[in-house]
Amino acid sequence: MNTRPFTAAALRALRLALTMVGVTAGFGVAAATAAGAEGLPAAWEGEFGTVVRPFLQKYCVECHGPDKPEAELDLAAYSSTAAVKHDDRHWSVVLERLAADEMPPKKAKAHPDAAARGRVVAWFQALRDDELRRHAGDPGIVLARRLSNAEYNYTIRDLTGVDLQPTREFPVDPANPAGFDNSGESLAMSPALLNKYLQAARDVANHLVLKPDGFDFAAQTMLAETDRDRYCVQRIIQFYHRQNTQYADYFQAAWWYAHRAELGRPQATLAEVAADRAVSATYLALVWSRLAETKIAVGPLVKLQALWRELPAPVAGNPTVARAGCEAMRDFVVQFRKKVEPRFWNLVSGKVGSAAQPFLIWKNVQYATHRMSFDPAQLQVAGEPPPPPPPDPEPGAGNEFGPGKTRPVKNVPGDADLVVPAGERARYEAAFADFCRVFPDRFYMEERGRNYFDTSKDRGRYLNAGYHSLMGYFRDDAPLSALVLDAAGQKELDGLWAELDFIASATSRMYMEFYCSGERQRLGQGESDPAEAHPPDQATLTSPRIHELEAAFLRVAGDTNPPALAAIREYFTGIDTTLRAVERMHRDAEPRHLAALERFAARAYRRPLTAEERADLTAFYRTARERDGLDHEAAMRESVVGVLLSPDLTYRIDLVGNRPGVQPLSDYDLASRLSYFLWSSLPDDALLARAAAGDLHQPAVIAAEARRMLQDPRARALAVEFGGNWLDFRRFEELNTVDRERFTNFTPGLRAAMFEEPVRLLLDVARHDRPVLDLLYARDTFVNPALARHYGIPVPAGWGSNDWWRVADADPYGRGGLLPMAVFLTKNAPGLRTSPVKRGNWVVKNILGEHIPAPPPNVPELPKDEAKLDLPLRELLARHREDPNCAACHARFDSLGLVFEGYGPTGERRERDLAGHPVETAAAFPGGGEGAGLAGLRQYLHQRREKDFVDNLCGKLLACALGRSLLFSDATTIHDLHQRLAANGYRFAGLVEGIVTSPQFLNKRGREELAER
Amino acid sequence: MKRIPSSASAPRRSGLPRRAFLRGVGVAVALPWLESLSGLDRTLGAVGEPASPAQFPQRLAVFFMGNGISPDHWWAKGAGANMELGQTLAPLAPFKTKLNVITGLFNKTATGLGIHPPMTGNLLSGVPIQKGAIIHGGISVDQMLANRIGQDTPQASLVLACEQPMTGYHETNFSNAYGSHISWQSADSPVPNEIYPSLAFDSLFENRGSLRNLSVLDRVRERAEKLSRQVSSTDKAKLDEYLTSVREVEKKIERLRVDKSRAEDRARAQGRPALTMKRPENGLPEDLREHTKLMCDLIAMAFQTDKTRIATLLLARDLSALYYPFLNVREGHHGASHHDTSEGYERIARFHLSQLAYLARRLSEMPEGEGSVLDHSCLMFISNMWSGTKHDNKKVPVVTVGGLGGTLATGRALNYLDAGDENRKLCSLYLGLMDRMGVRLDHFGDADTRLAGL
Repeated sequence: MNTRPFTAAALRALRLALTMVGVTAGFGVAAATAAGAEGLPAAWEGEFGTVVRPFLQKYCVECHGPDKPEAELDLAAYSSTAAVKHDDRHWSVVLERLAADEMPPKKAKAHPDAAARGRVVAWFQALRDDELRRHAGDPGIVLARRLSNAEYNYTIRDLTGVDLQPTREFPVDPANPAGFDNSGESLAMSPALLNKYLQAARDVANHLVLKPDGFDFAAQTMLAETDRDRYCVQRIIQFYHRQNTQYADYFQAAWWYAHRAELGRPQATLAEVAADRAVSATYLALVWSRLAETKIAVGPLVKLQALWRELPAPVAGNPTVARAGCEAMRDFVVQFRKKVEPRFWNLVSGKVGSAAQPFLIWKNVQYATHRMSFDPAQLQVAGEPPPPPPPDPEPGAGNEFGPGKTRPVKNVPGDADLVVPAGERARYEAAFADFCRVFPDRFYMEERGRNYFDTSKDRGRYLNAGYHSLMGYFRDDAPLSALVLDAAGQKELDGLWAELDFIASATSRMYMEFYCSGERQRLGQGESDPAEAHPPDQATLTSPRIHELEAAFLRVAGDTNPPALAAIREYFTGIDTTLRAVERMHRDAEPRHLAALERFAARAYRRPLTAEERADLTAFYRTARERDGLDHEAAMRESVVGVLLSPDLTYRIDLVGNRPGVQPLSDYDLASRLSYFLWSSLPDDALLARAAAGDLHQPAVIAAEARRMLQDPRARALAVEFGGNWLDFRRFEELNTVDRERFTNFTPGLRAAMFEEPVRLLLDVARHDRPVLDLLYARDTFVNPALARHYGIPVPAGWGSNDWWRVADADPYGRGGLLPMAVFLTKNAPGLRTSPVKRGNWVVKNILGEHIPAPPPNVPELPKDEAKLDLPLRELLARHREDPNCAACHARFDSLGLVFEGYGPTGERRERDLAGHPVETAAAFPGGGEGAGLAGLRQYLHQRREKDFVDNLCGKLLACALGRSLLFSDATTIHDLHQRLAANGYRFAGLVEGIVTSPQFLNKRGREELAER
Repeated sequence: MKRIPSSASAPRRSGLPRRAFLRGVGVAVALPWLESLSGLDRTLGAVGEPASPAQFPQRLAVFFMGNGISPDHWWAKGAGANMELGQTLAPLAPFKTKLNVITGLFNKTATGLGIHPPMTGNLLSGVPIQKGAIIHGGISVDQMLANRIGQDTPQASLVLACEQPMTGYHETNFSNAYGSHISWQSADSPVPNEIYPSLAFDSLFENRGSLRNLSVLDRVRERAEKLSRQVSSTDKAKLDEYLTSVREVEKKIERLRVDKSRAEDRARAQGRPALTMKRPENGLPEDLREHTKLMCDLIAMAFQTDKTRIATLLLARDLSALYYPFLNVREGHHGASHHDTSEGYERIARFHLSQLAYLARRLSEMPEGEGSVLDHSCLMFISNMWSGTKHDNKKVPVVTVGGLGGTLATGRALNYLDAGDENRKLCSLYLGLMDRMGVRLDHFGDADTRLAGL
């Protein structure tokens, strides 16, 4: 079968060659095969014997013979047509050189005439046409293979939701002949690498976090308690931060709603306004109801409504006209709330001090449950005595690590907000109560200082309960939950707090620390008993032991202060209740975790599991628990490691059908092929749903999926992996050839920006379905401040170093499209000078797909430092080309590099080279035509090489999509892709659609290759 | 696989001279495990040259006790066998020639930030740590070493503690996590302390890690074999690469396990049972003395059998809540440290230092080459303060035992107090120790120079 790798470029070269020697068709053999002969007709063999072999003998084998063949090519070794067919790769080069009259070389003794040359070339062309017709659309052999490093990284990212880059320290993947590192031809496995996979799987599994209803992965490892704490606490904090609790925003939203007609949205509902203004619809409705309330005649709402009525009407072009007024309303609420905040004095009882956890918690609870109420003692009712003074001294206020001294609220006598006419207390209290219920003193307590009630010192303790030196969290967000959140939000927040116990064991650890702290010793417990002196074990957390400690506390607290005793009972009961609930939660969660494991494996394997596989998963978990004695979490972690290391995840294997010949891929295999092509990662749920529906193989369906996927952020992988390998900049960020002393602005930041530029352009072409020719001719490009400065493009005010923008017309700065990007100019320059050779070679090889042989080993080196050159580089190159041995290749690319001489070694624009010679960018191009600079090159490409570029791009993208090198038989598909592009304005999505609906993409070679059983 | 069966039929002979067994002290005979393993290699046909000192692994163990020592009793004078030691250091008297009592070193980035957790969180890293809700510091020297040389052993490092960590906030607004961990695997995460001797034992000696890997590998191998029966011959070739790799890794792990049990069998056959350790009971030992001893035994066994080369043992964390009724001290550790001139606190400090002496003794009784495992190790004891009464960490106490295979001079009392702040950095000491263990870094923590005269 035809498995020889072949490039689109070679095919193109051959056609070019035929044109050049003026031969089109008409040889006997070609005609004979056109008649439809199968196999290898005698005519092929006959002509090989009568025409081709004698030609080779006469003109070629003197150098390319069995004895020390030049370029290690022994042409005498091809004894039959079959031998030629099996080595397209070499023969394409042979024919290319032959057709271009580059071989035999000038110095050869004998030279064939054009007709003789043409005859051999045409024979080979006809042979290929025949092959092509018989094998067009052949899926070829797509080897099973492991995921590449990049694919494994993306896959783990999408599987776990965190970008852990587990292959960071893996060896670099080798590339196949097409230049891509995603094929079985190049991707191998070894024990050393497998060991790394094992370690990587363990590393990933260390991020596993079990939750009440499933599991997830955290950005950090989740082994140490402090990491679990941080994970849970940050999720709660982040939830808080997502809620809008700014009074001014609600007043402004209410104002917007009141003026919705003038603001052009007469039909807008309150909920719509809330969504537009990013405030809670629930709370906006409540605020609106109070602002619109007409029955209340006394209390703070009257004043707030007065401010509300003073808000200005909308003014066209001034969206913030009401902002200041809304802020004044907010200030009123905040000031008023402070005047009526309740106060709670420290508790002490017997030998139990104010800093004892039961009493600190009691105090926390008092504040947390009174945020939506007020202190009626602050009302200044005519004829009533002033509020009673606080206890002096306040008990326990002297303990610097305790709750401290409670600062009483001090109001000015006669404060208009608080004055109540005689006999009106009940009416005012009702008004105050309603107002304070709607406008709490705070919505949630996010962070505290080192002393809970004194917020002035050392803030930054998230959700802290305020214990001295002991861990402890306290939930204080009732107003947020009651007023701002909808049912879903309440559930989410409750869930996050439950996770603090479920994941981080907050309550049990808090209690354990409390138990081990000096507190119980101060109570006269366990001072001299060695058994008690050491941190106790899990038995401490059982109900009887908890109640033992409770009894000890109650004993030393005496019986003089009933609220204190109640606080102690509540504290221990609360601990016991929570711990028991957490135990239940863990028990209930285990079967859910196993169900989640099945879902995880199915997603990892990119297909539904078989019943056997599901049973295997459970069996493995059970063995880990029962035979190996692991606890639930450790057994789950082992199971996850098993999934991550499984060949179903780490390998791409398209299982064939049970019929011979070419078989369609299953829809699930097709889904993987599509997602690894466009995302270098596993399919998402939508794509798997199409596979499940069984219609993914329909051209319209797969084309629509491809279009959808190109819009997804994950398509960035196509730009990075395909673009990076095609254009050879994938490893640019490791480049260290630039002399940082000479080019001081070449910082890691600029280097990263250079790498990013082609990624952005490629992504833009993919996302916006731009013509692929834009890659050559576009006037736009993408820059961040570092790159803009490098290019001399002005940086708009206010742009941060990570902000990127599109420069619509970069032409005045010598940029636009791929060609003048700094990344390529820098990569193809050896440090202290430019390299027209490397730059030109990059253009013909990577952009145009031309095959250039590797340079011979004895080429003279050009000086490394341009500043030390006596002659400009172009003149040195011109001399080099005077040697006909060198000219054959250099004539094909030098000129395409010389046009870039206006760009220095890091792609910066320049007038003079480093030695001070004025730069000259004019060049005569191969095959005719002249031009200077970027414009000249573009014109040349447009007029003479556009087809090469498109063919090359089609071939490269096809090779990348299929995960194999191209075959000669792919030429038809490439031709079709080219036609399809040309017919649709060269739009990118058309190319992708053409590839994903091609027979190569949809099928696989079938059973004839099945392994022996 | 280089196993050559030629000698399989030959009488099995240990490469170990019999007198090596007799070199131990009294009847406390130890099987020098590594040597017997290298002997085993010879039996199996591998080429084995007599081991030179450099061939023995170098180990580092760091012991930490929080809250400072008893300053009046922490001193050393003279050199070598004639060294005089203060009362707290007296338990180390048998090892005078193998000691370095290093005074005057400090960690500048841990000063001026308040007391306790900020004095501890970067003791082994030298990287400034962050206050408040976000925990951030730097990788500690033991973990740096574990990353660089840990691949050579079944376990990269052993991180043990005799006290539970705490995670609340200290009054300085630094998390108590800083005071509860000395080993940090990254800037953001400490290495979880193992406080259960039984679990530490399992991970080391029951080959928990390798058993688990075997289970996983076994499972994926079965899966690959199944797959391999369903695919084309070309795909089968690719899958075979995977299968072969899995089998090779499995074999390697099995080989290590077999080597271990054969070494044990052989030792038993010769009437020299391997120095074994009973698996500790589940749960925490009730007596702290039992706890610390078990932890030292675990390190000793791990070092001897080359299960790991890096260990840390947190004996008492910062703000420790340990109690010492057996020392007749009524206050808890932290409270007692506020009276660091008291006899009681001296007893506490001496108790912890004697753990170092105990481990040193265990290792010295394990012959290895011409010396003992101790000679190829460095055991370092360190606290986060000099004085707990004053909460003073302008210098911290450091003492080392063992010569790291002859690379570290010993038998010295070194004082850097007057060398100038630039020349008395703990991180300079760490750079010097890492150098000697073959890990050369340009800088570590706040230091880019080696400690002069180490």
